Amino acid sequence: MSKYLDLGIKEIHELLVDKKITPLDLVEESLKRIKENKDLNAFITINDKVREEAKNLGEVDPDNLFFGIPIAVKDNIVTKDLRTTCASHILDNFIPIYDATVVEKIKEAKMLIIGKANMDEFAMGSTSETSYFGAPLNPLDKKRVTGGSSGGSASAVAGGLVPLALGTDTGGSIRQPSSYTGLVGMKPTYGRVSRYGLVAFASSLDQIGPMTRTVYENSSLLNILVGEDEKDLTSVSKDKEDFTRLIGEDVKGMKIALPKYFISDIVDEEINKRVKEVISYLKEKGAVIDIVDMNYLDTAVNLYQIIAMAEASSNLARFDGVRYGTRATAAKTVDEMYEKTRGKGFGDEVKRRIMVGSYILSGDNAKTYYDKALKVRDDITKEFNRIFKDYDLIIGPTTTRVAPLLGITKDDPHKAFMDDVLVIPVNMAGLPALSVPVGKNSEGLPIGLHIIGKTYDEATIYKLASNIEEVF
Amino acid sequence: MSEFTPTIGIEVHVEIKSKSKLFSSSANTYGMATNTAVNVIDLGYPGTLPTVNKEIVRQGVRTAHILNCDITRRMHFDRKNYFYPDNPKNYQITQNRTPIGRNGYVEIEVDGVKKKIEIEELHIEEDTCKSAHRGNVSLLDFNRAGIPLIEIVTKPCIKNGKEAMAYLTKLKELLFYANISDCKMEEGSMRCEPNISISKDNNFGTKVEVKNVSSIHNVGLAIDYEIKRQEEMLNNGEIIKEETRRFDDKQGKTILMRVKETGNDYRYFIEPDIPYLDLSDEFINDSLKSLPLLPDELREKYSKVGLNSLQIEKLINNRSLNDYFLGLLKYKTNYVTAVNLLLSDVSSYLNKHNKVITDTNLSYEKLVNVIEALESGDLSNKNVKDLIDSLMETNKTLEELKKEFNIENITDDSFIKEIISKVIENNTDSVNDYKNGHDRALKYLMGQVMKETKGAVNPKMASDMLCEALNK
Repeated sequence: MSKYLDLGIKEIHELLVDKKITPLDLVEESLKRIKENKDLNAFITINDKVREEAKNLGEVDPDNLFFGIPIAVKDNIVTKDLRTTCASHILDNFIPIYDATVVEKIKEAKMLIIGKANMDEFAMGSTSETSYFGAPLNPLDKKRVTGGSSGGSASAVAGGLVPLALGTDTGGSIRQPSSYTGLVGMKPTYGRVSRYGLVAFASSLDQIGPMTRTVYENSSLLNILVGEDEKDLTSVSKDKEDFTRLIGEDVKGMKIALPKYFISDIVDEEINKRVKEVISYLKEKGAVIDIVDMNYLDTAVNLYQIIAMAEASSNLARFDGVRYGTRATAAKTVDEMYEKTRGKGFGDEVKRRIMVGSYILSGDNAKTYYDKALKVRDDITKEFNRIFKDYDLIIGPTTTRVAPLLGITKDDPHKAFMDDVLVIPVNMAGLPALSVPVGKNSEGLPIGLHIIGKTYDEATIYKLASNIEEVF
Repeated sequence: MSEFTPTIGIEVHVEIKSKSKLFSSSANTYGMATNTAVNVIDLGYPGTLPTVNKEIVRQGVRTAHILNCDITRRMHFDRKNYFYPDNPKNYQITQNRTPIGRNGYVEIEVDGVKKKIEIEELHIEEDTCKSAHRGNVSLLDFNRAGIPLIEIVTKPCIKNGKEAMAYLTKLKELLFYANISDCKMEEGSMRCEPNISISKDNNFGTKVEVKNVSSIHNVGLAIDYEIKRQEEMLNNGEIIKEETRRFDDKQGKTILMRVKETGNDYRYFIEPDIPYLDLSDEFINDSLKSLPLLPDELREKYSKVGLNSLQIEKLINNRSLNDYFLGLLKYKTNYVTAVNLLLSDVSSYLNKHNKVITDTNLSYEKLVNVIEALESGDLSNKNVKDLIDSLMETNKTLEELKKEFNIENITDDSFIKEIISKVIENNTDSVNDYKNGHDRALKYLMGQVMKETKGAVNPKMASDMLCEALNK
């Protein structure tokens, strides 16, 4: 049986250029693996036109690394004519009539969308268990969660079903599942990648990014995704750059900060130990690493709960059954229609967050909570900037623990947020950050190292990550 | 019973003229087939994002300027959250905390007394869908969704219907002349909502809002009715509730629509999809450059060229004639004759054929020739009436038309003398009247001369000769 998908995309690309395989072979292999691993529940919808699309790709372009490579797209990114559910009942019949900007970009790069990856409903969750379609499983241990909310993307790549996936990260939703499944996951700087076509959860935090098996593949895919988009006013204009350009460069002389909070007792011992091993290695290689004090990091989860919920309560108001999606029948009044549609359409976690968000914005609460949270958010950003005056990067573990067993955070919604305590501060400051695997723990479960960079300095993150990837 | 003092404020919404909508590229039009000026953004489709139409911000700057407001230099948009089927996202993008203009005024004159109506603020926002109800079914037209509006809010400084009408008339004239809006109340491009309370002391009374008022005149009627109604209620010991009423122009009454629920909570917060806008001096100056002359400037200008106030007001009331006349000021001619001609024969022609002057062939050169001929007596008023259709419709010169119509006024001295002697002979009473100082008799005698010659005599010549004969 063929195992092309286990090769690096550079090698796959050579085979395609040499006409030893065709894009259709890759698609067939991917579809076969998805079928054989149905229990992973990585996909919500398979693109039933992907074979045809593979056949119609035309002549292989030797300069396009991504020609014919299958990719999974998280199901909160709209795809024209391909069902996009956000893992919610309320959109389970929703077929978009336009492509998200990133989808246009991956189509231009001739990648093949195999299907829409499972996720937490509307990206609200840390384990992907809030999906209306059931949780995806962690391919490294099927009793465990993939993390979330980009759990399906993580499961699909870690399970070898596709080599590449798009995830989205509002409060760690790319990096945390990447850490739990041993992948490289990048949340780019806010504004790097257009959000047009990403179904908004928390608009000021959401960002789309690549989830891959290697640092090189990750940075190459980011090359494709970025760029100012006139349809997204929060996207930024930057000179074109090659994010792979610093990969493999010596880390000698790099200045790296390690905030005390990131190695405090909230982090699992085995993970702390691994981070220390990474630090010794980097020191050996000539990097300067200092343990630093950073304020406000511990407020990030609370800020997230205020800012993200508030924005979500407004963003999700449009799902009302009037124009698209599932509409409850047998309602006598408009209000009853809203209540029934939203009551049946949304799951518990989504409803909880909408209610909390509405409460936060109500009357004087907006001042007490929301306005104050925005101020503290500015303080976090300033705090990061202070550190970045003296350091190139900030590192720490991506998560406080390895992937937990399925079901254990389900009954404690607050505890679920604590999975993201280390990754959320980054979203508050809009910074780029990546999780790179640094081996496994004694149970064979992956551990991720979190690398945070300066605004728009993804390339330096990839430089450090590539050095670590070589050894761990 | 006049011990109550009324306090009135008015909210005015006007639709802004622009090529496209406020946050999308759909056309900003009125009267197109239902749901044809619509795209995914107007529909509040999942994943879509707003973009800001700069031309509309310029219109906001112009409006703030002409209403003497302070222009807000750093502003943002806010979300106003409420559920209603005509509200596609279930939030409206508006400006809550940073309206584009603040602290302005409009100067009015009522019964010879000048007064400044103070403007609290004006802001830019998007319109909702238009809904139509057919039996059990409600239908939505998204053409109107996202149409740009400016809302102008006065301070509660209006005292009666007359002041309100004067304010609205002035406001309408300003916005219309500045090309901000068509201000057609019948098409809904200008909507006025007065709120009225009355009180015996310095504390404001309970506010009643009146909606659906179809004309400025009716706003005045509605206000005066409301003052009377509230006075009667209070005198009868009744309590006024905070409510919304509509004006029924057939009955001349306001009618209850709904009682305001307490604590209408719109959960405002800053629109995270639109970055802050910083208006530069350059942007503001650029926006104001294209402002045409406004009515008060025109009044001054016209009064200087000798028009009386009746002529001035008639001209300003007819925008296209006004603009035409403004162009005529570049030519040296008798402007009073010109305006009389424009307001009489030209206007009747235009009304009869339902045309605007720019649709006709009445060039400035031709008009100047006609005025000269009238002055010199080569052309009589009756001649103009005969020629008007051809003057307006053809490219022929006045000379050519005179030939074609055989207009050759009698300039034969002896013939005119003969007629005059005959008229004097037959009208001895009038001649005596004239000699006794009754100037009206001259007019009558002149009329007789014209009658005898069937209007074909050079009127200036005839008049001079008649006077000469009478004064002998």
